[in-house]
Amino acid sequence: MEPTAAQFIDLTALEVLSLLVIGFVGGLVSGFIGSGGAFVLTPAMMSLGVPGVVAVASNMCHKFPKALVGAYRRYRFGHVDIKLGLVLSASAAAGVWAGADFQRYVKSSFGEAGSNLYVSLAFVVVLVIVGGFVLRDAIGIYRSGSTHAEDRTSRLAKWVQSVEIPGTMIHFKVSNIRVSALFTVPLGFATGLLAATIAVGGFIGVPGMIYMLGAPALIATATELVIAFVMGLGGSIKFALHGLVDIRLTLILLAGSLFGVQLGAIGTTYVRPYVIKVVMAAIMLIVAVSRGLVVPVYLTQLNVMSLGPRTMVWLNYASFAFLVIALGVGGFIIVGAMLQGHRAVVLQKRQAAPAK
Amino acid sequence: MTGRKPYVELVVSGLVSASLYLLLFLYEAEIMQIYTRTDTFYPALPIITAFAFSFAHGAFAGYFWEVVGIRAKRKG
Repeated sequence: MEPTAAQFIDLTALEVLSLLVIGFVGGLVSGFIGSGGAFVLTPAMMSLGVPGVVAVASNMCHKFPKALVGAYRRYRFGHVDIKLGLVLSASAAAGVWAGADFQRYVKSSFGEAGSNLYVSLAFVVVLVIVGGFVLRDAIGIYRSGSTHAEDRTSRLAKWVQSVEIPGTMIHFKVSNIRVSALFTVPLGFATGLLAATIAVGGFIGVPGMIYMLGAPALIATATELVIAFVMGLGGSIKFALHGLVDIRLTLILLAGSLFGVQLGAIGTTYVRPYVIKVVMAAIMLIVAVSRGLVVPVYLTQLNVMSLGPRTMVWLNYASFAFLVIALGVGGFIIVGAMLQGHRAVVLQKRQAAPAK
Repeated sequence: MTGRKPYVELVVSGLVSASLYLLLFLYEAEIMQIYTRTDTFYPALPIITAFAFSFAHGAFAGYFWEVVGIRAKRKG
């Protein structure tokens, strides 16, 4: 698969600027919730004329250094459970393998439109179910008035932690949980499977760590960065072996995202744990809308439906707009919550000062 | 919240990062040609470069937030 010159585009100043901005906001979100950005970055690059496979490869090659820097930052805050991250990464690698094989099978059997339809439906189904669940939990915490409280352990997680299967039990010190590998393996596998399908494994990995294993949201989102690093590095090596990485795109994205990912990581120290869930749910559900909008387009391409060409163009535009909105809303909530948290700290200090 | 701000570190890491980006800009055509080769050790180049930029530029970004006063909240 030798690349040709046509695969790599010329970059204008405006395109570089837009990649810097999207990179920054994508980094901000991933520093905060462990993943994010990839779902906007790939289509954004494609809309600049970058071929799909080069966009995925260049994005992947920017993801692992970003995750590394984010993970290092949050490790220093005591948020990262390296053991949990590595254990999940091992089975995630198998998930990526299986997911990529299944993708190839779908593409060879149903063509490009069939493959796109499969990816979009996977997005919609997974994000609506998981995002809805996370949102319900966040609303529940808000209504109960215990937004300052640490995470509650879900009923499922309590059950998972209570299952003792001799010879398979692993203790994760940072998360303070003890669970059987028979639960971590399928979770890691599903994370990898989703990563190979929709490029954002964290949409399963993070909620899985929180609701299935019982890890605190802060630890889960930081640990996801370890998984993203391992998977991103593996994927980048694979793409680099085929000469598909556009290093210019990778480095331009990094220029913005390394600022964003550190700000997002700092942001987690200012907000209440439930805000992380609000951001996650908001992004997941808006992305689900975006992907849902293009389902009729692919159905038309498969001759199952019939839409006019203009309608299809507008649906594609609307879909991309929703992706940008998802990232924007995430960034907005994070910055807002950070400012609020920062103000509260300043106020606390001012009140404490005269008493001394 | 007290303590010296890392101005020197910011400038040094900023210069390193800016030099790396300047090289990328100046030798864009040559870099693209070499970095997309798939024989021998060439596929390692994008990976090594991404690591190198993440250290230099990552350090710069970190010092930048520290100098502008955005730091992690301390526990307690």
